[in-house]
Amino acid sequence: MVFKLYFSRVPTGLIKWVLNQLGYNINEILILFAFGFSWYSLKMSDNSIIVTNLSKTFTFPVRSATAGWVKNLFSPEKREITAVKEVSFSVKAGERIAFIGPNGAGKSTTIKMLTGILFPTAGTISVLGLDPSKDRKKLAYRIGTVFGQRSQLLPNLPLTDSLEFFGVMYGMSDADIKSRISELVELFDLSAFIDQPVRKLSLGQRMRAEVAAALIHRPEIIFLDEPTIGLDVVAKKALRDLLIKINKEEKVTIFLTSHDVGDIESLCDRTIVINHGTIINDLPTNELSRAFAYEKYIDLIPKTSFKNFPSLLEGATYFLKSSEKITVIVDINKLSVQDSLKRLLELFVVEDIDVYNTELETTIRHIYERDSAR
Amino acid sequence: MMQELHFALYAIKKNIQSSAELRTSFLMNIIGMAINNIAFIILWVYFIQAVGIIGGWTAADIIGLQGFTAICYGLVFSFAGGIKKLPDYVSSGSFDRFMLSPKNILMRVSTSSFTPSGIGDLVFGVICLLIYGILMHASMVQILLIMLLVALATIIFFSVTVVIYSVSFLFTDAAFVVDGLFTLFLTPSLFHGGAFQGALRAFFMFVIPALLVGTIPVEIVKDISMGKLAIVAVFTVIWLVLSIKIFNRAVRHYESSNLMTFGG
Repeated sequence: MVFKLYFSRVPTGLIKWVLNQLGYNINEILILFAFGFSWYSLKMSDNSIIVTNLSKTFTFPVRSATAGWVKNLFSPEKREITAVKEVSFSVKAGERIAFIGPNGAGKSTTIKMLTGILFPTAGTISVLGLDPSKDRKKLAYRIGTVFGQRSQLLPNLPLTDSLEFFGVMYGMSDADIKSRISELVELFDLSAFIDQPVRKLSLGQRMRAEVAAALIHRPEIIFLDEPTIGLDVVAKKALRDLLIKINKEEKVTIFLTSHDVGDIESLCDRTIVINHGTIINDLPTNELSRAFAYEKYIDLIPKTSFKNFPSLLEGATYFLKSSEKITVIVDINKLSVQDSLKRLLELFVVEDIDVYNTELETTIRHIYERDSAR
Repeated sequence: MMQELHFALYAIKKNIQSSAELRTSFLMNIIGMAINNIAFIILWVYFIQAVGIIGGWTAADIIGLQGFTAICYGLVFSFAGGIKKLPDYVSSGSFDRFMLSPKNILMRVSTSSFTPSGIGDLVFGVICLLIYGILMHASMVQILLIMLLVALATIIFFSVTVVIYSVSFLFTDAAFVVDGLFTLFLTPSLFHGGAFQGALRAFFMFVIPALLVGTIPVEIVKDISMGKLAIVAVFTVIWLVLSIKIFNRAVRHYESSNLMTFGG
């Protein structure tokens, strides 16, 4: 029917004649078109987020030392900074992505463009098939957001009112709001403080409540900007566990920015590293240490006890010197693990040896430092 | 549209509940503003009694003028009090949450905050218009005109406020400039029509429409002038459309920031 309507508007005779001249049959072309369209739809539905050559530039006035105060006041010089520069990546539905980088790298700017808060200077964004700058309202119904430094809750009213407020905002029915609040209260263990005014909640309780509020309308993607900032270790773990739970149980795609290595390590299966507005790495989180660690740690346990600490080969340095244990850091760009072990065994009589990679935090620091030094 | 209105009313209800949680501050704000306004009108009445009719304006007319302006101010800043917080929302970055809302941004921002003192203005304005109606022995037509003009003047007041507060998006720390511009609009709206003649009257009608809030409505009710009513109605539509367009364009200049804020 659709094809009939479509073809009634175009000169089908002419098209058929052209195709015949080229040796094609109209039915073959239609089948090919349908196949191509299905493949494209499948490909698109697989990706929750597609970002292509995304850039964002901010302009601001600067004081000129050479100009007078009148010129500085009325006609100041303008400086342009590129916060995000030709960034491209895609995120599959159900993925847990860490979007990391040092302060001012462009993480928050990117997340704000993905959610429709900021308008891009150049490039294209597709989130769930929608353009955030054009389809802001439609997109808002399908995504959830949590900004660690910013609360969306109503400070003076009980938490339950905030959850209900968001439910009404997303156009949910009263019955749906009630049942969803019950689900979230159970999932996030909110019952102990659901009737307390939000301003009286602890930071850990508030963050759990923020995430619950962001999930009230069952979003397909949740964007979290530093969700564990300021939380103690127990609250951090509880929040991470909850995020993994909603990812697994409700198939919510998680897009997270954080400076906390624990968030990245325990929560995200893929890490995108951004610095100076450009993506410098995009790889599975468990490969991050392996790919970028240029330091190995070697622990030596003595047969009796260590007494002397002689100088090491270039590329190896003591990290810990004690009679019960020595830890040596080896820069593998300067010295191989084999050579360093050989030398250490010549120097010390040992009971046990342990060789391991640097922690993820050190690896990330190395990535940032290496990129800054470029 | 109905969904937007339904949510706007719901948000206003929640804002009132939120403000009422802080009971003492809530009541003191309302009572304080009512006392402040009563003192102001007593001053005007004594002034008129001392100098007689000014430029054709009697004490009753001035009570009417104060009534219209107070109701507009009260309605806009109590129920749509969020618009007054726009400079703060923009500079702190808390405007983000309105961009993330699935609702109309202007409506969402406007209904994001409730100012209890606005209720004091509103109550005061209603009392003023009641006194005005009694003093002028208002006919049924005049009563209907008062009601219609309250609605039109409130829309104009809201629209002009939106245009002024949209300046917040154009440069950093716009609060001082916005307050200055708003005073330039509000102050002339509190002065009787005799104070503005010729070019000044045209300026405060067509450029900064302060006179459309109180002065012209009082003149329309007094003279039962349908011509002036039509002009006010046309200007209401123009200002409303203009304000929405300007606000939506200004929003595109929003650059967000990362200060710590609370919701609402």
